[in-house]
Amino acid sequence: MDTLTRIKRLAEKEFTIDPGKLDASASLESLGIDSLSFIEFMFKVEEEFGVAVSDDDLKGIKTLADLERHVASALAAAGKA
Amino acid sequence: MAARRVAVTGIGVVSPLGNSLPEFHRALAEGRPGIRRLPDEVARGSGVQVGATVQWNPAPLLKEGEAGNIDRVSQFAIGAASQALAASRLDLAAADRTRIGVSWGTGMGGAHSVDASYLQLYGKGEPRVRPLTVVMAMNNAAGSNVAVRHGLRGPFANFSTACSSSAMALGEAMRTILAGRADAMVAGGAEALLTPGTLAAWQALRTLAPADAGDPAASCKPFDKRRSGLVLGEGAAAFVLEEEDRARARGATIHAFITGYGNSCDAVHMSRPDRDGQIRAMHEALNESGIAPQEVGYINAHGTATSVGDLVEAEAINAVFDGAPVRVSSTKSLHGHLLGGAGALEFAVALLALEEGLLAPTAFLEQPDPACALNHVALKAERIAPPRAVMSNSFAFGGSNVVLVAQRD
Repeated sequence: MDTLTRIKRLAEKEFTIDPGKLDASASLESLGIDSLSFIEFMFKVEEEFGVAVSDDDLKGIKTLADLERHVASALAAAGKA
Repeated sequence: MAARRVAVTGIGVVSPLGNSLPEFHRALAEGRPGIRRLPDEVARGSGVQVGATVQWNPAPLLKEGEAGNIDRVSQFAIGAASQALAASRLDLAAADRTRIGVSWGTGMGGAHSVDASYLQLYGKGEPRVRPLTVVMAMNNAAGSNVAVRHGLRGPFANFSTACSSSAMALGEAMRTILAGRADAMVAGGAEALLTPGTLAAWQALRTLAPADAGDPAASCKPFDKRRSGLVLGEGAAAFVLEEEDRARARGATIHAFITGYGNSCDAVHMSRPDRDGQIRAMHEALNESGIAPQEVGYINAHGTATSVGDLVEAEAINAVFDGAPVRVSSTKSLHGHLLGGAGALEFAVALLALEEGLLAPTAFLEQPDPACALNHVALKAERIAPPRAVMSNSFAFGGSNVVLVAQRD
């Protein structure tokens, strides 16, 4: 399963979003994900992939696609990709 | 103009005796205990042998993702409050919800979330805990979840006075309505602290009953010579309280009126109860109700089954009800001690006596302690003509005493 699919699966469960409506390029806000919910979700993503996203990087994440890029690069840096 | 009064128009229960009011009533009437041997994964080395656990499935009330992010205590609160609101048939969509508030009580708040975070840090040696830990664990989370769930934007308060928390929440909700600050309040309390860390702390107090050798379900024996301590429980109870005229105007079913709220502090010791503080709280509740002791037909006692606690309460009741031998029971023998949720759950027991004349028993009271001489409802439930008034006692560590009086009319 690719990284984005795994992130989407986690998001579907966490936010009870219909998979069909989970547009990776849509803003988190438009998906109804507030900042507190997103921070909790990030924690679960980090646990799932065994990576850490820095506070600075976190600020740049506005969509699930952004998140996937950060996770993928963290995985590559850790030699896990 | 008649004085304002506060009506009870909805009741909800999540308890070791069932997760609806009818199930709860049935178990009380049958004297069926909810106390059981704790599973190893809950007791985990704490030495605590028995507890009164809730059989809980968050679905369909909560979605899977939601349930994972809301502490067990808040789930119970949402469950009980949703039942109470549904039963009240209050039309929230049409109501001015800035005039409906929440008054909640809990002793420990989100104990499961605290325990999980400590396990993560100290047990597993992980450097971080989940970000929702604070908002899941904070003491006001249960009440706040009720407010958020139903959009109740009126006065909000959360009381944490150990075992009197939710009785206080009910009393203060009554005052809030009487003062004209709200038209209705969702009031109650919840507790969910059967976690290894909390159990270990309670066990250290040496106040918990060991499992009864013959029958673990019979481990809590209030007012009995053989009593050996309390049994911890979990759960929640919630009530919709409304100003009487508004409740009548919308044709609501009125279960009872909360007419008296006594609140005193012993101010002598952190854990040892004081007769005079309890007496003052009972007198205050009776005085506010404007009734004489003999009009009270039933008292749901605090009765935790500790050696000193039951003795002092019996003395206090006898001092107040001198010459009026009121019927008394402690239903903690069945549902355990819900601590912060106890006052609310036991108020529901008292209302059962008031509405139907059904007196739930002190189960397992086979050898009444002569030092706790009361007019017990022992072993089995009894039916009487519904009394004019009932009382519910909640006495807490820290010396807080809360007494509620309810009347039929």
